Amino acid sequence: MRDPVRADDGREPSLGSADEHDTPAEVDAAFRTLRRVAIGHVAVFTCVIIAVPLLTAALGWWSQGRLSGGMSPMFAMTAFGLYAFFFVICLAAATLSNAVEERMLGGPAREAHHDEEGTLPP
Amino acid sequence: MSNGSLPLAGVVLLAWGAVYLVTQLITAPPLGTGTTVLIGAGLTTALIVGYPSALRGPRSKRSVQPASARVQQGRHGTTIAAVGRSMPLRSGLTAESAHRTAQLLQPLLSGAAVAITDREHVLAFAGPGADHHRSGDDVVAPTARALNRGKTVLVRRRGELRCPNGDCPLRTAVIVPLTDGNRTVGTLQVYRGDGALSPQGVVEGLAGILSLHLELAELNRRQRLAVDAKLDALRAQINPHFLFNTLNTIASKVHTDTEETRQLLVRLSDFFRYVVRQEGHFAEFGQEYFFVRTYVSLEQARYGDRVRVRYDIDPQVLTAHVPVLIIQPLVENAIKHGLAGKVEGGTVTLKARVDPLTRTTSIRVADDGAGIPADLLKRISDGERGEGDGQGLSNIAGRLASLYGERYRLDIQSTENGGTVVDLQIPLG
Repeated sequence: MRDPVRADDGREPSLGSADEHDTPAEVDAAFRTLRRVAIGHVAVFTCVIIAVPLLTAALGWWSQGRLSGGMSPMFAMTAFGLYAFFFVICLAAATLSNAVEERMLGGPAREAHHDEEGTLPP
Repeated sequence: MSNGSLPLAGVVLLAWGAVYLVTQLITAPPLGTGTTVLIGAGLTTALIVGYPSALRGPRSKRSVQPASARVQQGRHGTTIAAVGRSMPLRSGLTAESAHRTAQLLQPLLSGAAVAITDREHVLAFAGPGADHHRSGDDVVAPTARALNRGKTVLVRRRGELRCPNGDCPLRTAVIVPLTDGNRTVGTLQVYRGDGALSPQGVVEGLAGILSLHLELAELNRRQRLAVDAKLDALRAQINPHFLFNTLNTIASKVHTDTEETRQLLVRLSDFFRYVVRQEGHFAEFGQEYFFVRTYVSLEQARYGDRVRVRYDIDPQVLTAHVPVLIIQPLVENAIKHGLAGKVEGGTVTLKARVDPLTRTTSIRVADDGAGIPADLLKRISDGERGEGDGQGLSNIAGRLASLYGERYRLDIQSTENGGTVVDLQIPLG
């Protein structure tokens, strides 16, 4: 628990910083929403990973066709496509999770508690 | 998600199973992979495209028009009926709308010039003579006569037009007042250069249509004012008792818990800042959610463990736009009327979902509190207000109707001592 009067570095704490303002219910809600984000992305990830062997079994062209450089589509997918997919899905999950956290915890105007028409009391 | 994407996903999965069954197992010899994938993809596309239409149900009969009416459609159609439908003056009598109207009418009047004025100036002029009859000119004497009398004025001689330009091709004019209710707000003027007068009945008919548009514009303006007033009423409705109780709660904690006191003061300031600074009728759900959290935390400081809250928020809904001050009054009702009267308290659940397929935002506020007696629920459903009922729900319903017309749904289900569920569905914005 923070010292309510002094921040860790000895400065006066900013009024209403986000980390000391969220109630357990709010943190719980953010956690559940983030879990939903994670589950959604894991589902997509799993579907794509499972699709590779399924395509091998179902589609002859997938393993026997030839793309540029003599690579089969499956080879190209496992050598390059999957890594690109991993990168994209990780980026998407991280971006969405950050956006969710930003909107569900803290507040939009926490840093600036001075009103234009008034001043902060001493 | 009974109307959402999940059933569609199931149907698509079933469709692919059926395609596989038919093309690979039943058909002999089995169809090629490419053909199978093509059939499956086509079926999936048809399902995805058709699903929202199926959910919307059959089109209303109002949109079905006879073939004769369809012929005349089009914003720049060439009939008076088309002018009536295009409603160029629907935004009021401004220079821009008058210009559009004059451009629209001029071709209908076989080469005659058309002018539209307000009570003082020419707003638009189209047709022969436009080189020296300009918008912004003061109205001439015959126009003033039509404005003052509120009746049609026929100008048969060129001299009466008082045009200073000797080469002016215009010789006669029919000047008909434009009215907004009982007020004469301007004129429609149709000039001709061949010495004959434009048919008075036609010009008066056109002026009648334009006057109707002006009345509709005024009605629109009043409707917008009414929505603004409802929003202001809701802002002003922040119960003084709420402020009084919260300040009392804060005062009681000053000596025992200074940190909580500080946090409550910050939240109270956040609460009022949001109410005061919110502009426009829509806000991001994330902002409304913040407002609700602020309100709930202040109420929790007062009621303690008696008020519990559970938020269940879809990630996509956070960026959706919702009408401002719609969710907090629902949560306030759940706490004030549902939980406050119950000794052991209860839980308020706020659930928000987005269905991208049907482009709908669903918000549900539920509580397991005292519930609403059947007779009161019926009165609320019928839109009646009794003493002490407050104006929260009726205000919300009124604002939603103004903002969305019939494209929203507000359902209230309640059982006495079993809690209340308020379901709100609005178009995704």
